[in-house]
Amino acid sequence: MVKNNMNDTINPTNRLPLTNEDTVGPYYPICYDHDDRMDLTKSIVGQQFEPKGDKIILRGRYIDKNGDGAHGALIEFWQANAQGVFRTEDTESSPEIDPHFDGYTRYRTVTGDFELKTIKSGTQLGRAPNITLTLFSDGISRLVTQVFFENEISNETDPVLMSLPQDKRDKLIARLVGEDDDNIPIYDIEIILAGEGETPFFDDFLALGWRD
Amino acid sequence: MEKLGRKLRIGPTDNTSYERTPRENLRIIPPAARDSFLPYSRVQPGIRLGENDLTRLAPDLPRADGDAIEMSGQILDDTGQPLRHALVEIWNANKYGKYAHDLDGYSAPLDPNFIGLGRMLTDEEGRYKFWTIDPGCYLARPDINRWRPKHIHLSIRGGASRLITQMYFKDAEHNDTDPMRIVMGDDFHLNIGKQYETPNIDVERGYKFDIVIRGKDSTFFE
Repeated sequence: MVKNNMNDTINPTNRLPLTNEDTVGPYYPICYDHDDRMDLTKSIVGQQFEPKGDKIILRGRYIDKNGDGAHGALIEFWQANAQGVFRTEDTESSPEIDPHFDGYTRYRTVTGDFELKTIKSGTQLGRAPNITLTLFSDGISRLVTQVFFENEISNETDPVLMSLPQDKRDKLIARLVGEDDDNIPIYDIEIILAGEGETPFFDDFLALGWRD
Repeated sequence: MEKLGRKLRIGPTDNTSYERTPRENLRIIPPAARDSFLPYSRVQPGIRLGENDLTRLAPDLPRADGDAIEMSGQILDDTGQPLRHALVEIWNANKYGKYAHDLDGYSAPLDPNFIGLGRMLTDEEGRYKFWTIDPGCYLARPDINRWRPKHIHLSIRGGASRLITQMYFKDAEHNDTDPMRIVMGDDFHLNIGKQYETPNIDVERGYKFDIVIRGKDSTFFE
């Protein structure tokens, strides 16, 4: 069913073969960090604007099979705004977009630890508040998972959590461990890459170009 | 029987694959949650002019050791649409196979004229172009005498597209035993730069490396 009209569904067999993913390796340039932010509650440094929503801090660490931190890894964070809407090309001008919240950032962790100051995302479309974490590191190409928050009623109906067995759901729920000096709640998550207590990761690779 | 995603293979990548590769299968993403797994990066860093020439630290400073090469290409999504204004970062070892990175303990010499990092944004047609030094291969695992063939790392980030990959060189020393080449199997050719002549510019030769990257409308495997 090859169709010539650009607006028609493109036959998947017409897709171009994807360039292979490869490991980021251990030498990703640390010096590019200066463009990255671990505070999504300040859209522009030096201005008073802030995003809508409840501020939170997500603290966490990536742990390997031996219990050591996944040093030298690159982490990307992605989440919806307080209304539960993701800021993309398609939603950029939507009234539901918060002009002072971006929802994407990246961080190169030296030790495997990270701390992201952000806002808790909304619950649109049946989703519980969550943050998508993508890990690039030496030894792997890419690992993707989502982190949720303790005590959210919407966790009970979230499709991602519901797709997992109970013991695996718990691995994705960050625990409330306290608050900082500004009374911002601090959540904590340990992400275990391999072995006992392994965190569930998700397969976001597309069909084409993928083979076993 | 619960349907599961891919099971990732343990290495044999550089140093940490055994420690960092999940032993359980990946999980299938429920359809209702798909969009939430497609990060969209809107913010790009400030880029200085000349950050795509790695062969000198500044226009009037000496060239780094080794052959200056051009690496260029076009970045398309899998429907053939160019990826415009995407951030392309590259990093590679110097002529001797040594990275300037803090963590590289390889015994080969540093080259004071080579830092080995470059970045730029793609143009309207998704094109990019770098000048760098033809990198050396290096002994990645002295404990088991395993080498990495020469390669250039690339990270591409724009809109809903994201790819971290490496460009390799045809028939280069140690290609055949490289762990990542083995993982790619028959698709290794997709990651090899195609050599071209560069008669009118100040580099020895060029390598064309066109990249196809997952777009936002890509089909998920189920």
